Amino acid sequence: MLTFTLRRLLLAIPTLLVISLVIFLLVDLAPGSPMAEIPLTVPPDVRQKMIEALGADQPVFVRYFLWLRQFFWVEPASLIDGWFGTTLAEGEQRILSWQSRSPVFTIIGQRLPQTLTVIGTAYLVGILIAVPIGIYSAYRQYSWFDQAGTLFAMIGFSVPTFFSGTLLIIVFAVWLGWFPTKYDTQLVVNDWASFVKQIKQMAMPVMTLGLANAAAISRYMRSSMLDNMGMDYVRTARAKGMSERTVVLKHVLRNSLIPVVTVIALGIPAIFGGAIITENLFGVNGIGAALIGAIHANDLPMVQTLAFIFAVLIVLFNLIADILYGLLDPRIRYD
Amino acid sequence: MKLRAALMGAVAVLGIAPAAFAERGTDGEVKLTFPQAVSIMNPYLSGGTKDIYASSMVLEPLAGLDPNGVLIPKLVTEIPTLENGGISEDRTSITWKLLPDLKWSDGTPVTADDAVFTWQYCTHPEGGCSQATKYEGVASVEAVDPQTIKVTFNGPKANPYTAFVSALSPILQKKQFEACLGAAAPTCTDANNMPIGTGPFKVTGFTVNDTVTLAANENYRDPAKPAFATAVIKGGGDAEGSARAVMETGEFDYAWNTQIPPDTQASMLAAGKGQFVVAFGTLVERLETNTTDPDPALPEGERSTAKHPHPILSDIRVRTALSKAIDRSILVEVGYGAGGKPTCNVIPGPEGWASDNDGCIAQDMEGAKALLDEAGWKDSDGDGVRDKDGKKLKLLYQTTVNPIRQDFQALIKDWWTELGVEVELKAIDPGVFFGGDPGSPDTFQKFYADIEMYANNSESPDPESYLGQYQCKNAPTPETQWQGENINRFCNPEYDALYATMATTTDLAARQEIAKKLNDMVTKDSMIVIPLVHRGTLSAHSNTLGGVQINAWDSEMWNVADWFRVK
Amino acid sequence: MLDAGPAPLVQVRDLKMHFPIYAGIFRRHVGDVKAVDGVSFQILPGQTLGLVGESGCGKSTVGRAMLRLYEPTAGQVIIDGDDVASLPPEALRKKRPTMQMVFQDPQASLNPRMTLAEIVSEPLDEHTDWSRAQKLERVYELMDQVGLNRRFVNRFPHEFSGGQRQRIGIARALALKPRFIVCDEPIAALDVSIQAQVVNLLEDLQEKLGLTYLFISHDLSMVRHLAQRVAVMYLGRIAELSPSKDLYARPLHPYAEALLSAVNEPDPELAARRKRIILKGDVPSPANPPKGCNFCTRCPKVMDICKTVKPDLAEVEPGRMVACHLYTSAAGSTGAPEANERNQQGETR
Repeated sequence: MLTFTLRRLLLAIPTLLVISLVIFLLVDLAPGSPMAEIPLTVPPDVRQKMIEALGADQPVFVRYFLWLRQFFWVEPASLIDGWFGTTLAEGEQRILSWQSRSPVFTIIGQRLPQTLTVIGTAYLVGILIAVPIGIYSAYRQYSWFDQAGTLFAMIGFSVPTFFSGTLLIIVFAVWLGWFPTKYDTQLVVNDWASFVKQIKQMAMPVMTLGLANAAAISRYMRSSMLDNMGMDYVRTARAKGMSERTVVLKHVLRNSLIPVVTVIALGIPAIFGGAIITENLFGVNGIGAALIGAIHANDLPMVQTLAFIFAVLIVLFNLIADILYGLLDPRIRYD
Repeated sequence: MKLRAALMGAVAVLGIAPAAFAERGTDGEVKLTFPQAVSIMNPYLSGGTKDIYASSMVLEPLAGLDPNGVLIPKLVTEIPTLENGGISEDRTSITWKLLPDLKWSDGTPVTADDAVFTWQYCTHPEGGCSQATKYEGVASVEAVDPQTIKVTFNGPKANPYTAFVSALSPILQKKQFEACLGAAAPTCTDANNMPIGTGPFKVTGFTVNDTVTLAANENYRDPAKPAFATAVIKGGGDAEGSARAVMETGEFDYAWNTQIPPDTQASMLAAGKGQFVVAFGTLVERLETNTTDPDPALPEGERSTAKHPHPILSDIRVRTALSKAIDRSILVEVGYGAGGKPTCNVIPGPEGWASDNDGCIAQDMEGAKALLDEAGWKDSDGDGVRDKDGKKLKLLYQTTVNPIRQDFQALIKDWWTELGVEVELKAIDPGVFFGGDPGSPDTFQKFYADIEMYANNSESPDPESYLGQYQCKNAPTPETQWQGENINRFCNPEYDALYATMATTTDLAARQEIAKKLNDMVTKDSMIVIPLVHRGTLSAHSNTLGGVQINAWDSEMWNVADWFRVK
Repeated sequence: MLDAGPAPLVQVRDLKMHFPIYAGIFRRHVGDVKAVDGVSFQILPGQTLGLVGESGCGKSTVGRAMLRLYEPTAGQVIIDGDDVASLPPEALRKKRPTMQMVFQDPQASLNPRMTLAEIVSEPLDEHTDWSRAQKLERVYELMDQVGLNRRFVNRFPHEFSGGQRQRIGIARALALKPRFIVCDEPIAALDVSIQAQVVNLLEDLQEKLGLTYLFISHDLSMVRHLAQRVAVMYLGRIAELSPSKDLYARPLHPYAEALLSAVNEPDPELAARRKRIILKGDVPSPANPPKGCNFCTRCPKVMDICKTVKPDLAEVEPGRMVACHLYTSAAGSTGAPEANERNQQGETR
């Protein structure tokens, strides 16, 4: 297992380098300019000066290698500086966003917490809703509960979050006035009242995303359960005189969870990626909102860095999913 | 129209409401929301209105503009004029006198050195300052004494109120930004995000593209202001969400730029929690006609250049007919509601600068058809499309991807089709359209189309620089990497000559006359530009927020020090 | 054999197992697959009943329905005094240790995520309150009984060979000391060389532990070797139920005759003399069986009555029961029937 992991990690390095170059070229070749959001009242010569000040007029490969250096040397060094008070990255330019001129990693650091809390909770809630629904739907296939679950999943799949989110806002914020429509990123949870406030402001984005997540996972869960339900070993377990509970929860569920767990693991990078629409809708201003804002503003360093981090996470979680599979299923060994 | 009347009424009532005599910091928190989040608090490194407005609560210029476009002193004792001797007789210099005992929010005194430094900061060749035009023609800025700032121009300057005037050109603290000159400017993250200012508020927290938290500046020059102890600017989402947060849920007090469809405006107003206010500046949604031939058959480098005049649109009768066929009132009703009004001008305001040109307001389909007939465009083969010499009257009409603009495109296409013009529509991503990338065929400067639609405005009430766009020399060409503001490639020596006189005319009335004439030359006289809608910025404020006076000429937060909580 | 002697351990009376068919947009109940349609037999303690028939005839369903792995549609299954078919769930669970099953596919019937020890001891967890050590001891004991090396106790099923897996399946079935075991084609998935080992193991265990088997198989020669009596099933019904040696020597039911004619005859002389009966046509669908005798569509000796009246299983010779009009109906001996006339309409609904 260790050899397998190490080999995969080593293989990931060239893969990621190629990915980073491809992302860089794609983002660079995409039409648009970092000046697109600057009002027309700013004359062209001033715009040109601004572009030069950003370094955006340099040849693409110069910028690419500069970015590589910044990403793999300057940023880790400045992180170490931050921890140990060293001066490794002194005088080095960190990756700066073109739009805000702030270091990209500072922005990511500011945004990751709300993305992880909101999107992460939504994912968790989605799983917690989906797994029982999937289990019971499969156990009582074609029952009214299963039909309702199918309907729920269909709605969760097909209704876009900008619609379900707006609906929640109108019902829970405008009509009932229970929850705020704008997420307060500055809220510090330090007592019961602020905790309640946090829960309230998380409620709607979490519901919106949770529903969408639950829809997908409940389907996986159901079909995996159905696959296993018909297996002979389940009949064996029943024949052993095991209680129905043991049969379903121990024998069927455990085996059904193997593929579901890997699907869930593969979905985790998406948590870091945030949810562009939902974050925007509720003003969560996490990574997703940062990405879309950066794309609109043609903020290449930000887009490039975020896209590359997603690539790393995806590669990483693919590996984790594979390892998990090996751990969960004794039939699979990587040697 | 009822809605607009109601809005006007509301604005009027607020205008005359007596300012509360509150003490500083007694009204708690004021919460603002912007659909585009604030990226940076330094207006010199950003061109975005969101950033300029947010920073205007902290950083102040020497003088600002009131809702009528009239100069008001901010950090100075009075507005320098020829009469009071603040402007030299030859109009080559202007001298500002700082208020006594003026302090930065950190308690240190504001001196003339700070202004000098600000000029150096923005004019540094490697700084990429986005407000460099504000300092154009400035030869030097000197500190005559700690209280006196003298700005000297390269020559006589008709409008000397550019440097250090309005939220676009505030004073930075030398101490804070000293190490941030030139190439180092973007690396001063802390200073850029939390600048020290003289305004009613100071920054207490800044998260990029998300939230700015502010607190009352204890060193603000008026000890009774601001009434609010803290302020928050939350960014992100969309216009509708921002408007809803003020108008329906009441979570926020003020929402800037809540451009939403007219029917949504009405339903939100019905919730009774807030008001919409509209700032009418000079923003005009217009059709630009291409005077040069964008035919793809032409060799690259000659397409859309003065080498080939436009085969159809070079005829003024065609351009006029296109304008006559449009019903601008319907456009306003569909697209903007209270946030727009029909216009025939490129310079729709302020009062005094706007030409009384309203000949285009009424739709005249028959007149338009007659004009085309007269121009020789007739539907000879009966297919509903006019033709002349075997050539169809066919136009490519492009704009950015934007729901209102696509509505406009559809409406105008209908009218033009009725007129006998075949119209092909195209919508381009705004980032590409306005991106100015010389390699892209879809930028508005390249204008590889016959007609294009977008909005533009003059950043100051005095439209001199804005009108300068239409000079012959400003046409984008391959030689200038397609940079240039004369999108139409309009070239009229009379216009250029008249424009040249404007720079030397100092008398306000005379300047206004010239501006009106220049406006008419590109609009009703030539129909090179077909103005459609005078657009305002629609903002929303809660009924519990008092003191709001919408301002199109400066930051909407220009008087945030006077805002208070209605009890 | 019918009177006197010991009381039967297993009695099946008119067992029916119908699977509903749903169709259409609203998934309405439109019919039934009559996998088992009225089956009765009994098994004496310590004996083996062979249950043979071609694929799809319902023999495995009989086994599963008997152990209530399916909910039987009708009928009684009395095992050791209790009617398994109607026991309430909790009582059924308590009853399970008495009756066990050895499955056809040893790979699929073992939970892939459990070790041998877990698989074998799980029923002990459920039905006993033994200590861990006691349970482990029992697992070892069972492993010895089925001939598995004790070292393998913590291995997962996929680490064993097919024959070893079936031994695990048997050990698991034996864990609770059952009296009755349904062996559902226990050797069908195994190599021929392994088959004999497993069959011998089952025989040994029967002898040592006094087990009663229902041995379901399509391997007629293996059944002949193992079973005292054999039931031949066709399309959800028993065609003939006879003592093994009688059946193999002289099958009565035309279907049994056809089936047995396909068995390899070790004696070349006998093999040369014997003529194979080739049945024509396909087995009718159990969702829509023929109206009369199930076999009437393919029977070489079909008569008119066969197409309208279902023959009952009746004792025609001592100890031999046949469901065929040839032996029961008065018309039985009349003329040569028109064979092979298809009658597939079945009951019309």
